[in-house]
Amino acid sequence: MALLQIAEPGQSTVPHEHRLAVGIDLGTTNSLVATVKSGLSETIVDSNGDDILPSVVSYQKDEILVGNKAKALAIIDPENTIVSAKRLIGRSHTDIQKKYHSLPYQFCGDENHPSFVTRSGKINPVQVSAEILKTLSQRAQDALGGELTGVVITVPAYFDDAQRQSTKDAATLAGVNVLRLLNEPTAAAVAYGLDNEHEGQQEGIIAVYDLGGGTFDISILRLNKGVFEVLATGGDSALGGDDFDVAIVDYLIEQANLQRPLSPSMERQLLDQACKAKEALTLSNSYQVVLTLAENEQWSTDISKEQFELLIKPLVNKTLRACRRALKDADIEVCAVKEVVMVGGSTRVPLVRAETEKYFDKTPLTSIDPDKVVAIGAAIQADILAGNKPDNDMLLLDVIPLSLGLETMGGLVEKVISRNTTIPVAKAQEFTTFKDGQTAMVIHVLQGERELVDDCRSLARFELRGIPAMTAGAAHIRVTFKVDADGLLEVSAMEKSTGVEASIEVKPSFGLAEDEITKMLKASMTNATEDMQARMLKEQQVEAARVIESVQSALNTDSHLLSEQENLVINEAISSLAKITQGTVVEDIEKAIEKLNHHTATFAEKRMDASIKTALSGQTVDNI
Amino acid sequence: MNYFEIFGLEEKFSVDLDQLTERFQAIQKSVHPDRFAHASSQEQLLAVKKSTAVNDAYQTLKKPIKRAEYILSLRGVEIPNEQVTFSDNMFLMRQMELREMLAEVKFADDVDAAVFEVTQVLEIEFEQLFKAMQVLLFENSESSNKEACENLRKLKFYQKLHLELDRLEDLLFDD
Repeated sequence: MALLQIAEPGQSTVPHEHRLAVGIDLGTTNSLVATVKSGLSETIVDSNGDDILPSVVSYQKDEILVGNKAKALAIIDPENTIVSAKRLIGRSHTDIQKKYHSLPYQFCGDENHPSFVTRSGKINPVQVSAEILKTLSQRAQDALGGELTGVVITVPAYFDDAQRQSTKDAATLAGVNVLRLLNEPTAAAVAYGLDNEHEGQQEGIIAVYDLGGGTFDISILRLNKGVFEVLATGGDSALGGDDFDVAIVDYLIEQANLQRPLSPSMERQLLDQACKAKEALTLSNSYQVVLTLAENEQWSTDISKEQFELLIKPLVNKTLRACRRALKDADIEVCAVKEVVMVGGSTRVPLVRAETEKYFDKTPLTSIDPDKVVAIGAAIQADILAGNKPDNDMLLLDVIPLSLGLETMGGLVEKVISRNTTIPVAKAQEFTTFKDGQTAMVIHVLQGERELVDDCRSLARFELRGIPAMTAGAAHIRVTFKVDADGLLEVSAMEKSTGVEASIEVKPSFGLAEDEITKMLKASMTNATEDMQARMLKEQQVEAARVIESVQSALNTDSHLLSEQENLVINEAISSLAKITQGTVVEDIEKAIEKLNHHTATFAEKRMDASIKTALSGQTVDNI
Repeated sequence: MNYFEIFGLEEKFSVDLDQLTERFQAIQKSVHPDRFAHASSQEQLLAVKKSTAVNDAYQTLKKPIKRAEYILSLRGVEIPNEQVTFSDNMFLMRQMELREMLAEVKFADDVDAAVFEVTQVLEIEFEQLFKAMQVLLFENSESSNKEACENLRKLKFYQKLHLELDRLEDLLFDD
């Protein structure tokens, strides 16, 4: 006799389908993609068996090259080959010129939106990053044999809002669904914290020292029963191993009696030699640099390990000062740190390891490859976010790295959310009008720790219109800052006494406005209108499927929270949505989703409150 | 629901921080947006809203100064604006002395020692005021709450000085 199947209470009756999800480490120098396969997180290799993809994109006549093929062209075709675009993302022209005076590219575009002039036309750093993301997601789809549900992309913890937003824009351009932007040190902590093979489950305070090619992050976390709570984070989003190279280049220029400006290919040659010297000096005590100054004219010199360490010591000290500040912010003494995790290729430099070890008085953990640990952690998070591990109770509580504020009278910054606040977070601040009858106001959003507007980073300007005319000081404008779990900021404003929602026009100071992304997206498609339409239809269908699945699983567990009538209405809305989704009219699907959402709004709220109660009751019982 | 109710805690100033943190984490495990990353947009929005509220409640109760301010606001005592001066003349004098002390740090022969000394002074006086405020909050009468509010404002002044000292330290020891 055939047995009837009965599902476990609370579990969906639909057999669990494994969703393909990956973690992408979008690095300054190198990028990687990883996924969880039969419980293990590992990097995905390309057809040559390489997992590391150099973050280099070369714009050639008929094609765009990414990775090693592009890297090979860096010296002979420097103007069309973009290296380390991550250092330039979300940055202004002045920022770039000040920091990297010797870049071989031709820049164009206005002050806050620099682009490169390449033979494929104007290309901005967001588009360069999108190419890298496209290559990696394609690699993952080929290897896993299917479409990706979503990806987790890692960013330096110290990235500001403009840099985060630009990274997300790059994903949009690449057609990748972002499950979460995850901070690199947090990803590394996940890889180590959940790594039973090497160190066993970690508990206590850990410090993650992450020195990549172009960025430095230090994060102080508390690990407790699967919860990764970031206590403080700090760093420098423009300090990394590339700066070690630059220090060597400057030294070589001095030694060889060269004068700047140098040709782009000479700059590349110098950088190339510097990078080789840095890598060689990890193992040996000296390295011979050979430069071709002109045809048949060679120049060479020996760089000793001592000389190299002398050159980079100030940079290493800078990282240690950031460590000190982060510990202070976290209110943690150095001796309370249980483990120090090393992340990023630049932590291979012996001086970096030695100085970190000395500062924390601990042998740093390096058991997971520092180049891969971020991608491995991101993949674990992606697997959980995609819903593949419903019983896993890992939780990441991250923070914003830099304070957010508004410009007030006299060019001063009023902080609205201070740094190291756990996200998601929302804070409101009230403002009033300065003149009688004032109906508009400009709100300038800033990020940074300093008191003066000029010393902070401008994120956006808002023009608030439609404020009812009143006497000066009578209007109460409430400006709300919301930072979501990706660390992205959203600002809204309302006049309180009349309840008028003032209209807002967002002008991001850096990066791209939303319509520009749509434009670029269209430009990248062969049949723009049809392709866009198809993409929108697919997005709505995916959302519809998600809504139906989540409502159904909610009904399976919690239908007792509903009356019979409510149950009926919801079930009808589900069937109607399921039917409409079969069609091709985007607007109809949208409407049907909205209708179902409308009918389940209170239900969803009730369920969440019930789950809070359950969580709490579990706690109180535990504590008795 | 007020912040204490969210965590099922009694509405009083002394809070068991370990218990607070454990309950906070347990609740976040059920409402954090990460739990809903594959759910519908509606649920994602709701999760962000709940998670934000819980974070706000936790941050407020975790920090003693913010907790005191919150308790006073629950008792109907609002903290006056920062610009309102203190009516306590003794404290006004002390404020000036402390400001002077801070201003002189960078001219000291041994800056390290000077920073240490100011830190010590600030911490000792903060501690005294803090203890007094605890007692006043426990008493919970109209007059004690009012006095606790004055104490709290003084404590905030010390906190601000401490912040300025931190900033000065960063400035002095950075290149």
